Amino acid sequence: MIRLHNIERSYPLGRGQMFYVLRDIDLDIAAGDFVSVMGPSGAGKSTLLHILGMHDHGWTGEYFFDETAVHLLKAKERATLRNEQVGFVFQQYHLLDDLTVYENLDIPLSYRHYSKGERAALVADALDRFQIVGKKDLYPRQLSGGQQQLVGVARAIIASPKLLLADEPTGNLHSSQGEEIMELFRRLNEEGVTIVQVTHSEKNASYGKRIIQLRDGWIV
Amino acid sequence: MMADLKYAFRMLLKAPAFASIAILTLALGIGANTAIFSLIHDLFLRGLPFKDPSRIVRIYGEAKERDLKQLPFSVPKFWHYRDGQTVFSSIAADWGNGYILTGLGEPAQVLGENVTANYFDLLGIHPILGRNFLQQEEMRDDVGLVTENFWRKRLGSDPGVIGRSIALNGVATTIIGVLPDLPISWFGRDTEIFIVKPFENANATRDRLMRGYSFMRCIGRLKPGITMQQAQSTMPALEQSYRAQHPETADCTWTSVLVSATEDVTGDLRPAFVTLLIAVGAVLMIACSNVANLLLVRFSGRRREIALRMALGANRRNVVRLFVLESASVSVIAGIIGLCLALWIVDLVPKIAGDNVPLEGGIRLHWAVLVFTLLLSLLTGLAMGCYPAWQSSRADLIEGLKESNRTMSASRGQHRFRRGLVSAQVALSMVLLAAAAMLASSFVRLSNQETGFRSDHVWAAGIGLPAGRYPDPASRARFAQRLVEEVQASPGVEVAATVDAVPLSGNYSQTPYARTDGNPLPVNQRPLGLTRSISPGYFRALRIPLLAGREFTERDGADGPLVVILSSSTAKRLFPNENPLGKQLLFGVDNGNGLVAEVVGVVGDVRSRELAKTNDVEFYRPWPQRSVSFFNVIVRTSMNPEAAASMVRAALDRIDKEMPILQPNTLDTIVAQSLGQRRLTMGLLGAFAEDVLRLVVRQGMDPVLIGLGFGLVAIFGTGRFLTAQLYQISPHNPMLLALTATGLAIAALLACLIPARRATSIDPIQALRSE
Ligand SMILES: Nc1ncnc2c1ncn2[C@@H]1O[C@H](COP(=O)(O)OP(=O)(O)OP(=O)(O)O)[C@@H](O)[C@H]1O
Ligand SMILES: [Mg+2]
Repeated sequence: MIRLHNIERSYPLGRGQMFYVLRDIDLDIAAGDFVSVMGPSGAGKSTLLHILGMHDHGWTGEYFFDETAVHLLKAKERATLRNEQVGFVFQQYHLLDDLTVYENLDIPLSYRHYSKGERAALVADALDRFQIVGKKDLYPRQLSGGQQQLVGVARAIIASPKLLLADEPTGNLHSSQGEEIMELFRRLNEEGVTIVQVTHSEKNASYGKRIIQLRDGWIV
Repeated sequence: MMADLKYAFRMLLKAPAFASIAILTLALGIGANTAIFSLIHDLFLRGLPFKDPSRIVRIYGEAKERDLKQLPFSVPKFWHYRDGQTVFSSIAADWGNGYILTGLGEPAQVLGENVTANYFDLLGIHPILGRNFLQQEEMRDDVGLVTENFWRKRLGSDPGVIGRSIALNGVATTIIGVLPDLPISWFGRDTEIFIVKPFENANATRDRLMRGYSFMRCIGRLKPGITMQQAQSTMPALEQSYRAQHPETADCTWTSVLVSATEDVTGDLRPAFVTLLIAVGAVLMIACSNVANLLLVRFSGRRREIALRMALGANRRNVVRLFVLESASVSVIAGIIGLCLALWIVDLVPKIAGDNVPLEGGIRLHWAVLVFTLLLSLLTGLAMGCYPAWQSSRADLIEGLKESNRTMSASRGQHRFRRGLVSAQVALSMVLLAAAAMLASSFVRLSNQETGFRSDHVWAAGIGLPAGRYPDPASRARFAQRLVEEVQASPGVEVAATVDAVPLSGNYSQTPYARTDGNPLPVNQRPLGLTRSISPGYFRALRIPLLAGREFTERDGADGPLVVILSSSTAKRLFPNENPLGKQLLFGVDNGNGLVAEVVGVVGDVRSRELAKTNDVEFYRPWPQRSVSFFNVIVRTSMNPEAAASMVRAALDRIDKEMPILQPNTLDTIVAQSLGQRRLTMGLLGAFAEDVLRLVVRQGMDPVLIGLGFGLVAIFGTGRFLTAQLYQISPHNPMLLALTATGLAIAALLACLIPARRATSIDPIQALRSE
């Protein structure tokens, strides 16, 4: 499903020098795979995920999504592809502060082609599945960090993406809640969703089918 | 869409300070523009409610070499033009007169006009009941038209009004039609009746009429296909033939000038409204740039939100829509408030302007204006929302996501743009303020201007004498003298007097004059001098000082030797280095050479026509020697001047029960009203400037300084627009400019300090929590 070839990401350091966050990344991820990305802080895990998620385009190299050459796409086409295929769980949750839980879940649907009825049904479903029905009219600042993370995960999968990218989806969760998320990921994976997750936890990584170790921008 | 709208309102409510400033600024801009646009529409654009008003012209006489403009027509001249012209499908004439209406309850003084039979047909005005005058009725039948207002108020909407008889100045007049209410810009505020005897005038003998006594306003309707220029080019031939056939007339030397009806009605108002239009334009520009600035600050603090929404699937259109909705809801709310504001201003304007602006009662905000405002507010919203939204949506996703909500690290370009906006606002406000300051200062100077007379404790009212009962100067003189004596004897009255036209009331009359010695010019080449006909007490009533000679006395009667009193400037002008007393002057057109009057006194100068101007020449004649059928009684009291009304009423009842009084007023009010148009311009401009200032100077100091610089330059550029409306003040008055600049700078300084203090006192827990 995904083929990366010689992906490099760098930031200018000043005085003509470049700081390389990712170097010469070659990576193949088949459809239906469940990959865990691990590595120390600053290794470039989030950077890699944002490239896969097509949030970032300041990189060089080749990125094929199915048969599509992402590196050749225009920004607009990339956005369309992303909207159709990808769900993303952000490391810092990134909920919209001025929308309620319900509205936050509704946002991805509102930007896609769903009818009103479908939207209501899907949101109700997600609220139910993550047991946050009681919180639906609260604003993010009225939630705990863990609750916000749950909403972030729920939002990522609500539009049924084929590829789910999750940046430490259980970082703030109690271990039992973390397990529930992992179980959910496993079920989704069994239903055919390809998953790439970043995690520091060996236990979470074990839910995946394979592990990629990242160190100083290199795959090891 | 609904969700976005809900969100937009939520965001506005979340930052009420932002929302209210933006909304108020814009509301002011929209309100001011709608109001002024409505007024201008009413005054200039709507056009007179005549058939094809653009084809209607006024014909005026003009004597450039004597600086005489907008002169009326005489009877022989009107006849000559009517019969000789080829460019108009018809020409008509009218002149205003007061009538005493009896037989309908209390006798009442009504304003009316004497018109030629074709007058309303020419204008294309059709009666709502009955018919217009017929040609064969002209100068023959005692028939009249009344206005709808007259019919409703005085005749109780009588359905059988046609054929009903009313007494006008004691003459039984048959009503043949009811006219729809007429534009006051054309007929004046209170004109109610029309009769069809245009070529006789109780104020002038037939001899005087035929010598070119000019009192009729002449209009014409251009023939199809004839332009104003073509019509104007035929005037000299008419002038020449009139001169050849009527060389003895006073008006045969004048040229004829055509003025379009619209221009005639609005001519003097133009400078004031151009000023206001420029001012509200500036207000709107200030408002828009202020709102743009506010939105920019606000939206650039929301880059993370934009990045996040785009990461979640929003495209640029979605984002722009979100922000445009937010700014558009600002505009719409502002539009609604602005509309209320406009309604309020439009309601207020006629009150401030008094009788000086011919606005119909209850100006409507026209639907066109409504659409204009709404579009304006939406467009503003769109423009204001688009730029920041576009700017923000260009931002890199990944960068945006990393941005925290609190850091509003505006780009340098954005910064420059915003500073530019503020500078522009300050420059514009400065121009506004300076203009307002200059107008206000002119106004104050005018209000404090020495008029040469004292208006306090003086009351005045008009009285029209019906020609039937008071046919000659002697009977009119007896009436006036009797009235003065009766009023004078009332308790609390210091002095009672009469005058044909009250100073600064807008009414005045002029007479040709010449020195008898040397070779006097022919009558029709003599200059015209402002002339007032007064009773002996006039100078004492108005506290006008007698500088030399004597006042008039009761002995200066209709049969006595003719006498005149000069204003002091007149004396200096006509008799430099000579003693004017005992000198002789020729007045009027009687005998073809005027009548000789002897100078018996000199009094102080009075600004009787306009507060802003001294009169070069002003004569006073005894009322019995120069009277018309209309005069004013003025009363100086030792108490509240309004109390004079009942005393004059009682005095009149003792002399002639059927004699109503007209337009009673205190002289103070009349003087104040003479400044009505200026008060309007100044008041509105001042209010706009003040409000704008409050809103503008909240945004940082250095752009203010840059703006001040540009503002100064702009004032020098636009000052000339104002000059016409200023009084004893140059548009580049350095003192005023310095004051404006300092005022603005201080206001800005204060405005900067307050938000700075607020920023340093934010609760740290609160701030952290939202990171
Ligand atoms: N805008 C930027 N400019 C310069 N360097 C950057 C920028 N963004 C990220 N980096 C650098 O890229 C490296 C990788 O960052 P990344 O966020 O991918 O790390 P990570 O592996 O996700 O770490 P963590 O486990 O703490 O989340 C870091 O060293 C960081 O300093
Ligand atoms: Mg990371």
